[in-house]
Amino acid sequence: MSSVIWYIYEFARKSWAEKFVAARSEQEIMETPSRWRNFPEVRKEYCIACGACTAACPAPMAIKLVRSSDTSEEEGITYPVINTRGCIRCGFCAEVCPTDPKTLLCGENHLIREKFTILPVEKMYVMDEYLCIRCKKCLKSCKVGAVSEVDNRMVIDQSKCIACGECIKNCPVKGAIKGVFISNVEEQKEIINLVVNTLEKRIDEDQDKIKNLAPEEIFKFDYPIDELVEKAREIIPNDELIRDTIEKITDRLKMRIITWDDEKCKSCRLCVDECPVGAITYDKDKGIERNANKCLKCSICYQTCPFGVAGFYVARFLLTEASLDEGVIHVTLKPSQLPIRS
Amino acid sequence: MLDALKDVIRKSSIHVCLINTGGCNGCDIEVVALLSPRYDLEQYGIYVHNNPREADVILVAGAVTEQWREKLQRIYAKVPEPKIVVAIGNCPLSGDVFNQEGSSVYAPVSDYIPVDAEVSGCPPRPSEILAAILSIGPNAIAARGRQKL
Repeated sequence: MSSVIWYIYEFARKSWAEKFVAARSEQEIMETPSRWRNFPEVRKEYCIACGACTAACPAPMAIKLVRSSDTSEEEGITYPVINTRGCIRCGFCAEVCPTDPKTLLCGENHLIREKFTILPVEKMYVMDEYLCIRCKKCLKSCKVGAVSEVDNRMVIDQSKCIACGECIKNCPVKGAIKGVFISNVEEQKEIINLVVNTLEKRIDEDQDKIKNLAPEEIFKFDYPIDELVEKAREIIPNDELIRDTIEKITDRLKMRIITWDDEKCKSCRLCVDECPVGAITYDKDKGIERNANKCLKCSICYQTCPFGVAGFYVARFLLTEASLDEGVIHVTLKPSQLPIRS
Repeated sequence: MLDALKDVIRKSSIHVCLINTGGCNGCDIEVVALLSPRYDLEQYGIYVHNNPREADVILVAGAVTEQWREKLQRIYAKVPEPKIVVAIGNCPLSGDVFNQEGSSVYAPVSDYIPVDAEVSGCPPRPSEILAAILSIGPNAIAARGRQKL
């Protein structure tokens, strides 16, 4: 009963009756909100005519690059023209526009800059899918949850990784997780060049021994790395990085060695034309000459020579576990198994 | 006297028929939004019927597919005079994203029936559709009604 009285009281009010008679949508409903993405706005003067907007546009008739004609004062400019009868207001053109400031403005999305998310760490940890045995020890040991399993593969989320190295400690397979130094790339390059060149020179000194190697025999020697480490420390005084770099080189490097035995040469000149870089030359007085600096070690001369002048060997390396100053590189050299043509 | 009365009624009561000639349905949804309490189309005296025989305004959406070409003209013929055609969205204007090379859409719609108003956008805002209907609808219908056809 009381509610009925309340209703009567409510309906009897003048303001209610006025509202009821003149019911209309409020003006703000008809207004477009500020986030509304309207047709792109073109600012001709910034356009570089790259055509990215036309390539990104999903509607076939929406955007066209036009060029205004030259006048006596200045050259014509190229700029995009939006056909509002075709444009779907997706804003892709503004997003791909590479100029700064943007030639095309459409909505707000393209003005958002992604935040810088890379943590300031020296190392980046990468999973080697080929070596990984999916034991998930890294997943269990990761403290920040950066390791996850996607499609039966272990994946490291670089934005979460704090480079603590816990996963490598727990990984049972050597090399399945790789810690790559992402800093000091130039210095790393220098160290790599230094190590490779030094090893090559060292092997070259033993050429006579290598030449007289019996087939199926293996040539071995140890190379102490203390000198190398001294030089590397001059490049960058970071023992961890030096050890890491040298270890990676020696694990991966497969050096090709070409030996040259002038005594066996009969000056048949078969190899001269075969050499792809012209490292082998013939002179009437001097006979056949090989320029070792030009040589690519492609082994074509070895495969061509019927007299065994050129020898082709493969060297492999292994760094011992000892500390940097006492460390030794085991060098193993054996004749290549490549067949000789002819 | 009778004409004046007809004018008043035509201005305050517009019947709309929505035709989708093969679009993505997005524009239809915007029209449905117009019917909702938020925009409340009927406060302007506009009623949506999907019956061309009692319509004053035809809203055409869609890029005119093969099957729609003749049917569209038949529907247009069924609408009593005076009639207004409003093309909603980009599809009836240019074919929009459907008008790719090798596709079988027959946009623009003005190749088949005369179009009085165009609302571009993909889809246009409900308020834009409403503004287009209101800007052309009442007066044009009234004006056409006075013509001896």
